[in-house]
Amino acid sequence: MNTITAYKCKKCGLVMYPHHFRCLKCNGREFEEIKPSANGKLLTYTIIEQLPWGIDERERVLGVVEFDNGVKALGVIKAENPKLGMKLKAGWEPVRVIGGEKVYGLSFQPTK
Amino acid sequence: MRPVVIAGVGMIPFERRDEDSLVDMLAMAGLKAMDDANLGDRPVDAVYVGNMASGLFNHQVSVASALVDRLNLMPAAADRIENGPASGGSAVKNGFLAVASGYCDIVLVVGGEKMREVIGPKATDIVACMTHPNAEYIYGVTLPALAGMFTRLYMEKYGVTREHLTMVAVKNQENGLLNPYAHIQMKITMEGVLTHPQAHVNSPVVADPIHLYDCCPVSDGAAAVLLTTEDIANELKRPIVTIAGVGQATDTHTLQERSDPTDLKAVTIASQKAFSMSGIKPKDIDVAELHDAFTILEIAESEHAGFFSKGQGAKALAAGETQIGGKLPINPSGGLKARGHPVGATGVAQVVELVWQLRGEAGKRQVKGAVNGFSLNFGGFGNNVIAFVLRSKS
Ligand SMILES: [Zn+2]
Repeated sequence: MNTITAYKCKKCGLVMYPHHFRCLKCNGREFEEIKPSANGKLLTYTIIEQLPWGIDERERVLGVVEFDNGVKALGVIKAENPKLGMKLKAGWEPVRVIGGEKVYGLSFQPTK
Repeated sequence: MRPVVIAGVGMIPFERRDEDSLVDMLAMAGLKAMDDANLGDRPVDAVYVGNMASGLFNHQVSVASALVDRLNLMPAAADRIENGPASGGSAVKNGFLAVASGYCDIVLVVGGEKMREVIGPKATDIVACMTHPNAEYIYGVTLPALAGMFTRLYMEKYGVTREHLTMVAVKNQENGLLNPYAHIQMKITMEGVLTHPQAHVNSPVVADPIHLYDCCPVSDGAAAVLLTTEDIANELKRPIVTIAGVGQATDTHTLQERSDPTDLKAVTIASQKAFSMSGIKPKDIDVAELHDAFTILEIAESEHAGFFSKGQGAKALAAGETQIGGKLPINPSGGLKARGHPVGATGVAQVVELVWQLRGEAGKRQVKGAVNGFSLNFGGFGNNVIAFVLRSKS
């Protein structure tokens, strides 16, 4: 499955997403590219009722998820009743159309 | 560094201004500050313009060059300063540095934004361009959405309630009624926002848990200050209000990379720097203008800046301590909530309000006997923050 690329500092092990040229902890410049694990938990979320120009939806839930391997990332939350701490499974789908092209990103569904 | 005096201030009412271009607005505010300083025909050495997105909102760039032409300030140096929602604060800071260093004697700082040239969802999208392009923007994140995620965590951690958030809105809109420059001139009540059968119509959800009345309006406007030395301010016969302290700090671009996303480190550090430079302590501040783009921010900033300990800001608010007449009046101008938030203008408008307060010229919203003032301009979602401490010498 396609997904984001996160970065693990080769010197101190800090996991970062998005990309930095220097480690946020030790200033290291070498990183191992890692993929987020399959599942994570919801750290915070919002239900957006007033979406920006370019997103033709009435409502969208966005949230920050911490994956089991420590990667943290924002994504679209596809849960009926989002709750802090809930377990989610990551997916990859078009999240926005920019300049006529579909842009893919993270989506999350509750684990069964 | 030599002392820097704010010898003149001016602003135009924030509102929807269809008739005026961005540069018209900058020029009108700039002229008011020059006249307020009794500047006459004296030359200005440099002009700094705080503006976030004239290219996107108005299809015009190089607005600082356009402004010196409109005001006949050539051959003054001119720069546009873009630093997101902290553009105004950055422009004031750069003006301060120019005078403090001795490189310039007279500097005009103008902040402005014309946002209502585009429709609401487009303005939301333009403002969202400050978010991370791959990790945030593509998902449709908006500034209210970031504020929503932050508010949820802050409520959870510190017991802040929707009642507290609404108290900020009610207080600041009440203050706005006393400020002829404020965009929103409307009294609201706790009942109308929270419990009335029509509450969900009055204040619908924007980005849960954030409702409409938790957000500042989208406004057009400009504000200006004229900075100079103490000697020149005395020659101009203007009251002496000095910039006693300036602090600025940054934080990670995305909220998710902060180890504690409720900890606004840049607010704490910028405020500490400004206080330490000024020698003035938070308890000595008589009036504060905080960046309440969202109601939660007034509460969180009042704590991170050092006025209240963590978790106590909402209690101080509920006890009336932050009202005009309270122990520490916050946002007597109405704040961003009522005055409006033409992005690049805000950091300058906060300083303008403090100068009026410290000179005793704030009319019906005057904080009695105010000598020391504090302002905080919050960029991004707390990733670039500028604080000022102002002191009246008269
Ligand atoms: Zn490292």
